[in-house]
Amino acid sequence: MSAAIFAKYLSDGRRSLTGWAVGIALVGMVYGSTYPSQRENTASLPEALREGLNIDASAAGYLHASVFGIVLPLLAMIYGVTAGTRAVAAEEESGQLDLLLAHPVTRTQVAAERFGALSAGAVGVGLLVWVALLAIRDSAELTSVTPVEFLAQCLSLSLLAILFGALAIGLGAAVGRKAAVLVGSAVIGVVSYTLHAFAGQIGADWLAYVSPFHYYIGGQPLRHGFQWVDMFVLAAAALVLFGLGVSRFNRRDINS
Amino acid sequence: MANVIELHELTKTYGTRRGLTGLTLDVRRGEVFGYLGPNGAGKSTTIRLLLDLIRPTAGHVSVLGLHPRTDGLALRARVGYLAGDFVCDGRQNVRGYLQFLGRLRGGVPQARIDELAERLGLDQSTSIKKLSKGNRQKVGLVQAFMHTPELLILDEPSAGLDPLVQQTFLDMVAEAREGGQSVFMSSHIMSEVEAVADRVGIIRDGRLAAVDTVENLRTGAVRDVEVTFESPVSVAQFSEVPGLDRLALDEAGTTLTGQISGSPDAFVKALALHTVTGLRATEPALEELFHSYYAGAEDAPRTETAPAA
Repeated sequence: MSAAIFAKYLSDGRRSLTGWAVGIALVGMVYGSTYPSQRENTASLPEALREGLNIDASAAGYLHASVFGIVLPLLAMIYGVTAGTRAVAAEEESGQLDLLLAHPVTRTQVAAERFGALSAGAVGVGLLVWVALLAIRDSAELTSVTPVEFLAQCLSLSLLAILFGALAIGLGAAVGRKAAVLVGSAVIGVVSYTLHAFAGQIGADWLAYVSPFHYYIGGQPLRHGFQWVDMFVLAAAALVLFGLGVSRFNRRDINS
Repeated sequence: MANVIELHELTKTYGTRRGLTGLTLDVRRGEVFGYLGPNGAGKSTTIRLLLDLIRPTAGHVSVLGLHPRTDGLALRARVGYLAGDFVCDGRQNVRGYLQFLGRLRGGVPQARIDELAERLGLDQSTSIKKLSKGNRQKVGLVQAFMHTPELLILDEPSAGLDPLVQQTFLDMVAEAREGGQSVFMSSHIMSEVEAVADRVGIIRDGRLAAVDTVENLRTGAVRDVEVTFESPVSVAQFSEVPGLDRLALDEAGTTLTGQISGSPDAFVKALALHTVTGLRATEPALEELFHSYYAGAEDAPRTETAPAA
């Protein structure tokens, strides 16, 4: 199996990928460097939220609340959904998928090579965020978090992007409509975040386990380093979503 | 194997909408087959079924002896395909794009790509995004021909091409046949298929309305005739001649006009009884014949000779 589709997909998307990676890393840097001035503000958050999300005045607590709690995962999810939509649904709607699938390639192969490219991009984004945060680690007084702990959180960020990428590719492969993919992914994204943030408050802790956010940040990689089980759950969920979508893809008509 | 395409009782429905209803058709190895029909008649549906882009509701499809669903990879490796509305993407230039498509086929020699591009007048250094409709169609033609497939499946291949390039394309099709390749090409314009096709199938409302050689179709087609006689004749003298229709005489009674279908033999023999000073017969108008298949068909609008693609 040649990697031509994988390579072309990365090359076609290199500008937007670079934009995403640099953009997300910059946002991480800017937010991260406000820690010295903002650390006391974490106290103003509602206590239940602070407890639920493990927020306190430490560097890890601050990063949990702001950088890795909302902004970066949101951007990472949007990256995943955008790239995932482009992989099948957008091309199918514009009619370009016909040409590719008229070649001696299988539908599974097309989807898998593009998922691979998307995942490589997501890892690239995570690594760039890591480098960016290491660059401000001293100046922003974030030294209580080790580089390995930063890396663990950044790679969990990559996995979150990959999971939502898999969701978008899977939905696109299953239905082939861009609008359906975007709406479906957005709804699932919002529900995931809500469950993670508020499951504790409504007295249904178990609900949080349904949310990908729980596996992304619930184990507090910034305090405890790599959470292998959580990362495995994210990766496995991504593969399941991808697999479900592709199995439908192989059985349906390509829209003209 | 004598047939490159075999369709048997092929039916495709989209929800409640009909695509094809019981289409049976064979395309022989080594022939150029013209697949004619107006937009919406089911041409693209048939072609997309051949390539496993869509799956039949019922019936059987075989391409090069292979089943599209189960042998898709092997089948598509031996086929060149040009989509009806060929679209391509990317920031690459034409050369890079064609090389990419070639890699999907395990590599195509650059010399072959260059030769085809040059022939069609396609500048390979242009960015794919900036191509005009006609030039994009040329990219589509190059990628369909470049690996010299056993079977070319071309959906409205000359859409958007200027007349000169259209001629080049027809030459390429004729050469492909000489080289032993088979060609299945669809069109809604009779004249473009007439020039190269060995046989023509006409599809209407998802069914095959007619299939025959171009020659036979031409024989069955209608010619306009006009005969001038030295002395006046009467219509009644010719009304018994088979195949003659719409006879009319001018006021002087010396110029007879009408239409003749099928062999003109009987008419010529009837004329031999008179002194004929002038005779004019038009080329059989296949376009007319083509239209006659659609007369009365509800969802098949009469096509003009050159409708917008």
